[in-house]
Amino acid sequence: MAHLFSLTDEQQEISNVAKKFAATEIAPHALEWDQARHLPLNVIRSTARLGMGGIYVREDLGGSELDRLGGVLIFEGLATGCPVISAYLSVHNMVAWIIDTFGNESQRKAYLPRLCSMESMGAYALTEPGSGSDAGALSTKAVRDGDTYVLSGVKQFISGAGVPGTTYIVMARTADTGSRGISAFLVEDGAAGLSFGAPEKKMGWHAQPTRQLILEDVRIPMQNLIGEEGQGFKIAMGALDGGRLNIAACSLGGASAALEKTLRYVTDRHAFGKRLADFQALQFRLADMATELEIARTFLWRAAASLSERSSDATVLCAMAKRFVTDVGFHVANDALQLHGGYGYLLEYGIEKIVRDLRVHQILEGTNEIMRLIVSRSLIEGLK
Amino acid sequence: MGLRILSVIRQVLDAEESVRIKDGMVDPSSSKLVLDTMDEYGLEEALRIRDAQPETEVVALAVGPARCEEALRTALAIGADRAILVETFEPLDVITVGNVAAQVARKEQSDLIFCGGQEADWDSQAFGAAIAEYLNWPQLTWTTALNLEGRTLTGTHDIDEGTESFSVELPAVITTQQGLCEPRYPTLPNIMKARKKELRRESFESFGLHSRLKFIRSEIQVKERMRRIVDGKDGSAAAQQLVEFLRNETRVIG
Repeated sequence: MAHLFSLTDEQQEISNVAKKFAATEIAPHALEWDQARHLPLNVIRSTARLGMGGIYVREDLGGSELDRLGGVLIFEGLATGCPVISAYLSVHNMVAWIIDTFGNESQRKAYLPRLCSMESMGAYALTEPGSGSDAGALSTKAVRDGDTYVLSGVKQFISGAGVPGTTYIVMARTADTGSRGISAFLVEDGAAGLSFGAPEKKMGWHAQPTRQLILEDVRIPMQNLIGEEGQGFKIAMGALDGGRLNIAACSLGGASAALEKTLRYVTDRHAFGKRLADFQALQFRLADMATELEIARTFLWRAAASLSERSSDATVLCAMAKRFVTDVGFHVANDALQLHGGYGYLLEYGIEKIVRDLRVHQILEGTNEIMRLIVSRSLIEGLK
Repeated sequence: MGLRILSVIRQVLDAEESVRIKDGMVDPSSSKLVLDTMDEYGLEEALRIRDAQPETEVVALAVGPARCEEALRTALAIGADRAILVETFEPLDVITVGNVAAQVARKEQSDLIFCGGQEADWDSQAFGAAIAEYLNWPQLTWTTALNLEGRTLTGTHDIDEGTESFSVELPAVITTQQGLCEPRYPTLPNIMKARKKELRRESFESFGLHSRLKFIRSEIQVKERMRRIVDGKDGSAAAQQLVEFLRNETRVIG
């Protein structure tokens, strides 16, 4: 638990690099990408040179082998430039982590070098039109046929779907035994029968595509099964623990950027003969925003440390962190908009984009209601 | 044996930070400090030489208080092989720092020295010249392109009349400028390895030098604006008014 109250020099440096990259390569273009619905793959791929293509992947295949705290520092830092770009990288790293953790040696060697170099991007397909929070009820089927599996079904809200060269991890049913009948498969872009729905029109997250992943009798070699049949749900949930930390970190970074913009605004803008920053009501509000973000950050670090240590309460702590940090992040961003007055509502100030982007963090990677369910279950089961 | 390159770096206030004064001195304790961007260009050029000639060794040198270790760790994370910190709390003038760097270069048997063409804080532009003078080496200032073949360094640099091409046999001192190259970011694996790389500390006293600088005080320049606007509807009247204003009120013209 050495991480709780201060960062090591290495962790500080990791945070600095992510923030510097965000300030130099991401922030200046974030609004433009948002407006153009443009995923800047060249910029995203350039993070591979920094080692961000395989943050948790072991070093033998080009990974950076960092722990979860290192990860949240990176995603918070990148999100100060744009939460959407940061979140896209988070999903990519989740895919790489699954292969590194649950894949066999030949899968690791086949996929990890090109994921670490970002020659191929990773996407994760769990949710379906008929099953969101109730992921165990998914109906996409994988039927064994000789030495192949044949996948059919539709996956909903898939971030990064349709990006050329993407490697998909698809959760599909191999047996009718509820969540225990789910298995994880690697599906490569270009597979016959694989297609995509139209890009969804969304409130935020404009810089990355969200589409349906449509599997019509997609035949894949049986070697593309990750782990064993029936292990998919466990893999999916394990991956989401880390994904939840990262999406929380993306909220933290976005909200911190909104607070910083607000500090500049209130010291610049005058009303009734003084700076906005000289009004006590606004000072108190700024203090609350900063305090809540710092509490959120401190707790996120604790949850990250628990996941790295694989402590028994890690899943609960990650759920708490996801719920709390994404709620705080959204409220702080929304307050930042309010403090900007009418200007906050204008695109060019960059605040309304952050509000739009952070709103969905309360929904994806498990809704915040599901997070409460995870926490309350552990409380009630603890009584037994 | 490969080339030995000394990359002299400085720790300065982040350009985004506001300067604070305490007890008549610039107080960096509560501000974010970074590796001077000007020095990053030199480090990048040194690393490019090492990329092409892997037996090259790149040593980062800083002269200053203990906190400069952070800037050296950053240089190690970016890719320097090892680092030297000449520690002192005394505020030093650039000529003295140049003398220290020259002595280190001699001891390290350096072939090539990189440093910033100017400094983000003092902006003296004399640093590279001082090192070259103490070593009696040629110096190439304000370089805009560099290429090393064997021990012959060719490139271009800015002079008053325009751009000049040069060719120099090592050893030499090279100063950088903005746009010389695009410095790389530290990579995550290198950040984790930076701690394990050698960082040697030496005391400034062992160099037998004293600062030639005596600090009186520092203050922040306050710019008062007069916020006067000349009505430009009638051009010649406005010009007349402006001239009068510049002559009589601001005394900018005689």
